[in-house]
Amino acid sequence: MNRQPSKRVMVVQYIILLFAALFAFYPVWFAILASGRLGDRLYTLNLGGMFLPTEWTWENYRIMLFEKPLLDWIRNSLYVAIVTSIASLLISTSAAFAVSRFRFYGREVMLIFLLAIQTFPGVLALVAVAQILTALGLYKTHEGLILAYTIGTLVFATWNMKGYFDTIPIDLEEAAMIDGCGPVQSFVRIALPLALPALAVTALLGFMAGWGDFIFASVLVPAPDTMKLAVPGLFSLANDQSVPWGYFAAGGMVIVLPTLFVFLALQRFLVGGLTAGGVK
Amino acid sequence: MIGWSGRRKAFTVLLFIGPTLLGILLINVFPILLSTYVSFTNRNKFHPNPDCTITLTSVLDPVCWPVFRTTAPRGLAEPYSLQAPLFQNYIDLVGQLFTAEAVQALILILICFLPLLVAAYLNRYFDRRITRPVSSGVLWLVGLGAGLVLAFALNASTAYQQLMSTGDFFVVVWRTILFVAIRVPLSFGLGLTLALILNSNYLPGRTFFRLILFLPWATSSLAILMALVWQFFFRERGVINQVLQILGFDGYAWLNDPATAFAAIVITDVWFSYPFFMVVILGALQSVPNDVYEAADVEGASWWTQLTRITLPLIRPAILPATVLTSITAFQMFGTAWAITQGGPVRGAGQPGATEFVIVYAFKQIYQSQNYGRASAFAVILFIFLFAATLYSLRYTRITKGAYE
Repeated sequence: MNRQPSKRVMVVQYIILLFAALFAFYPVWFAILASGRLGDRLYTLNLGGMFLPTEWTWENYRIMLFEKPLLDWIRNSLYVAIVTSIASLLISTSAAFAVSRFRFYGREVMLIFLLAIQTFPGVLALVAVAQILTALGLYKTHEGLILAYTIGTLVFATWNMKGYFDTIPIDLEEAAMIDGCGPVQSFVRIALPLALPALAVTALLGFMAGWGDFIFASVLVPAPDTMKLAVPGLFSLANDQSVPWGYFAAGGMVIVLPTLFVFLALQRFLVGGLTAGGVK
Repeated sequence: MIGWSGRRKAFTVLLFIGPTLLGILLINVFPILLSTYVSFTNRNKFHPNPDCTITLTSVLDPVCWPVFRTTAPRGLAEPYSLQAPLFQNYIDLVGQLFTAEAVQALILILICFLPLLVAAYLNRYFDRRITRPVSSGVLWLVGLGAGLVLAFALNASTAYQQLMSTGDFFVVVWRTILFVAIRVPLSFGLGLTLALILNSNYLPGRTFFRLILFLPWATSSLAILMALVWQFFFRERGVINQVLQILGFDGYAWLNDPATAFAAIVITDVWFSYPFFMVVILGALQSVPNDVYEAADVEGASWWTQLTRITLPLIRPAILPATVLTSITAFQMFGTAWAITQGGPVRGAGQPGATEFVIVYAFKQIYQSQNYGRASAFAVILFIFLFAATLYSLRYTRITKGAYE
């Protein structure tokens, strides 16, 4: 709905946005405050400390960045998340295109089957997945992790891309085919550029799957220290005696930063008008 | 698509969807087969290992595969075997749901929902006609009223009590359905509102707000940390109570009351999940052409009409999968509840706690009592249940249909 809204509408919109932003940001702000506090506490019972940095120090950040292998972990995570994102994009987009554009035997069954297997509780599949990866020789490697994550995102990515392809007018591709394009060519040349917004969402999803997971990463790559991914690495700092919340929060803030950059880079593609005026 | 058929088409299609199918078979289908098999056995902490001389076990259990021959754990304990009545685990879980009284109570409660179904059906029927004799709001209200009257007339609360006393299964599943029914519309509504606002090109600070509102999803990698932060907000000396104290109100032990503990988990989970909807809807909105709205403006349609008659139908194929899949994930929500209440507050010995959702319950079954057979049976029942629900929602919304059918 890209028209200039009236003044009154704008005011209402900003009020909603401000409230939502407060709701979204305050818990994160609380974690940021905790990252500047010394000691093993995540919380403070002092009311001022819940809202303002009353006892701020960079000590936690210094220790996390220079004395712990946090940067190694982040490098591992970046590798896994980026490859997952690309692989998931490649595989799911082509499947989604086929499902959206071709009519073949078993098409609907396949779509339902994809959704249905997603309903099986993942926690219970974990041990079996670890055993399969061992059988393939991929246990304790980043590649095994990438395989598991990529396939984990496939169902949603395929469905999402299929939904988006369905909203793109087929007339453009038909015009291309009349002009002599094959199916692969019309996919790469016509449909993909038009689906940029959905591709951005899918890429983001793949990245987040590889970046944010804790359970799979800690089970499939348990050791050594230099191989760990960021999130399990961070939580491995805890032991039975103490949980260093200050370190967690500081490391956590560093870990969140790359996702924000990825989001910023991808959200530029969330702009309208790609198909506007294409079919008249 | 136009043009070709036969072997060439089959080959192209296979080229496009082959990798997806292969991956899914490997990582998703096999664990399901294995779990289904285990659900018929007495595998638990006293019978942890497979007996590789049984053919089915040796094929399905990876511990029997050649790769693991040297490293497989060989405990002294007995190997697991099939249960004597094959469905023993299932009977333990849901057996009491099939007594005459329980079935009767279930049917009674279902009858109370009948008026709503009729209302939904009539609505769809009227939608297809040019004029509507009654508006949809009135229809839903009448349906709801009739349902309530039926509930009183048939004494539904007794039937409900009856069902609740049939064991953990119904209690836990019912609670989870309630959670999904509240949590998914809330995140969807919030995500949709924000996406509609942020889609405007004439909004200074758009990128800034997009980034801030994306934050909860960005922190999902720190889900444990953030869930604990949320837990602190609701604690007895947490942020909410301290602020209330300044305003002159008494604090409240939010997490000790079943209802408010439930609400706390819903709020936290909405916080975690609405950015996902926001981003997906924002992506979907990009395919809506502008000239439709111009036409609607010329016709004098209000923004509500434009939203419900233009925007939502046009982005429907792109956002329905997200909604269905989010409902499934919400049904399997674990981390939030575990971090905030660990299933509590406790309602009594041997009973599931007030916020013990299905996966929390299954997790406790596996890791505390190590009863894999029972837990697998639970997973299989859930699987069948969710499968049916998904199938129904697919049929109801007809989203497997392609673009131009």
